[in-house]
Amino acid sequence: MIWVTWRQHRVQAFAMLAVFAFIAIYGVALGVWARSAFNADGLPACLAHSGGADCGATITSFFSRFNRGATLPLTLLLFVIPGFLGAVVGGPLLGAELERGTWQLAWSQTVPRGRWLAAKLGLVSTALVVFGASITAIMTWAWGPLDAVSIRLQPPPFNFEGISLTCALLCAFGLALLAGLLLRNTIGAMVAGYFAWEVPFVVGTLLTGPLQFMTTTVRIPCAGAACAAASTNSTPPVTGHLGDFVTSVVRSGNELIVSYVPADRFWPMQFLVGGMYLAVAVVAIGTAVWLLHRRTT
Amino acid sequence: MTHQSSVPALAAEGLGKRYGHAWGLRDCTFSVPAGSIVGLVGPNGAGKTTLLALTVGLLAPTEGEISVFGSPSRANTADTLARVSYLAQDHPLYRGFTVADMFRFGRSLNPSWDSGLAEARMASLGIPLRAKVKALSGGQQAQVALTMALAKRAPVLALDEPVASLDPLARLDFMRDVVAASAETGLTVIMASHVIAELERLCDWLLVVAGGRLQLTGAVDDLLAGHAVLTVPRRTPDGDVPGSTIDRTDSERHSTLLVAANPEQVAVAASQPGWAAEPAGFEQLVLGYLRRPPVTMAMAGQARTAGTAVAS
Repeated sequence: MIWVTWRQHRVQAFAMLAVFAFIAIYGVALGVWARSAFNADGLPACLAHSGGADCGATITSFFSRFNRGATLPLTLLLFVIPGFLGAVVGGPLLGAELERGTWQLAWSQTVPRGRWLAAKLGLVSTALVVFGASITAIMTWAWGPLDAVSIRLQPPPFNFEGISLTCALLCAFGLALLAGLLLRNTIGAMVAGYFAWEVPFVVGTLLTGPLQFMTTTVRIPCAGAACAAASTNSTPPVTGHLGDFVTSVVRSGNELIVSYVPADRFWPMQFLVGGMYLAVAVVAIGTAVWLLHRRTT
Repeated sequence: MTHQSSVPALAAEGLGKRYGHAWGLRDCTFSVPAGSIVGLVGPNGAGKTTLLALTVGLLAPTEGEISVFGSPSRANTADTLARVSYLAQDHPLYRGFTVADMFRFGRSLNPSWDSGLAEARMASLGIPLRAKVKALSGGQQAQVALTMALAKRAPVLALDEPVASLDPLARLDFMRDVVAASAETGLTVIMASHVIAELERLCDWLLVVAGGRLQLTGAVDDLLAGHAVLTVPRRTPDGDVPGSTIDRTDSERHSTLLVAANPEQVAVAASQPGWAAEPAGFEQLVLGYLRRPPVTMAMAGQARTAGTAVAS
């Protein structure tokens, strides 16, 4: 089955390698450049000296280097890659067999279809996990200098760090797999799988973007001009801790009422969003396995 | 591969398959001896592919069972899948694969795969192993698919309309190879086909299905001996004719009837003035049963006993 799976999916494997190579080259270049800029701007010394409190201007100028399209192609690509590649790999797995009638060949050999599917699912999803984890590793490294002075709790970094990219990939794979079984058509399965994946993707993006759901509220004393200048966009954040995601700042006398997501909520949010993707994937794949078994009765 | 002749290669008992509310196949009971070449005939949608899929283990029966060499077929089990090779309609293959890839696929998925047989057949047919499947002619693709089925080394080979898409020469070559494989290894072949002339030439056992029910089964020689074509005066009622009337054509001057009856009865009847009898031909027999409205289980039982009673 290992050879069979490889032979039937090698075109997708090469496509994934090409995507990986592109992201790896782009990511490594970005990481090297970000590190040199980080040092050139004197951020290490500033952060060591003041813990970020006095580095606002430096951080802002460091960040402005990345605003002019230098990262945009990569981050846009990373937005669609999990859905796109997951659908491209998952759609044909059953869709092509049913579309071309080769299922009659594949499932009448001595290996029962349940074992055939289990072997394929195991091998292909392992490849997807390795691919997703590698992209995540490269991008986490590349984005390291930006993460040191910014917020990881929202896209783009939230989408390609932690487990969310790999889980999103598996989610699109599972949905396209199921679509292939239902539609009996390869292209249709890819398209349907991709658009079905948009649903959990949009939910995940909303949860980590506009609908921040793990906020905490604190009251922070302030004085004079500092009170007036305080906003959600203050650098460093009004909570005084780089990485916190401030969602609202309301002035009340000599106090600021601040709602924010603490930086250490990164992993709980990753597990929540990643878990949502995985749950969708498990339901889709489970349904496909069940339907495939039921077709014989 | 040898099997005890007492164990039938294929035996169905009350076999039925329902799709939703409609029965694709029902009340199928038959038994086929090892080494037979079985012709499976019926109109489109009659249940031929269903019967084959049940035999192969691609489908599970709703009721009854079909056994291959004494063991009931269980859908999706390695045991059942190993016992029957299946060549589906339009001989599906992976178009992007080379012939060698197809064989490696076969070897990976079948413990009893016979690489020597597969390669020898390709060499004798002049099909290069490195050729892509999509670059081969229809006849060559069918031969590759047949080779896959033969190299699986299962004792039963099920073919669904194997030559429907082939030109006459490719048909001849293909069927010659099926018969040769059966003769060499004692392979039992069950073949669905619309080409009655082809079946007449090749088959020694017949299964006629229509409307999801088995209309006729038996050894071809016995069936032919158990039927006759009678020419009788017009408007002779069925009741006056020996045996049971399967098919009837009334022309202006006389009626022609296909009857299931033993030869003695037929000979007696034919001695009446204005009556004549001749042996039933294969095609007349098949068409007669196909034309007859689908019969119930009880009537099918009668038809079967009519066939077998004469044979004994």
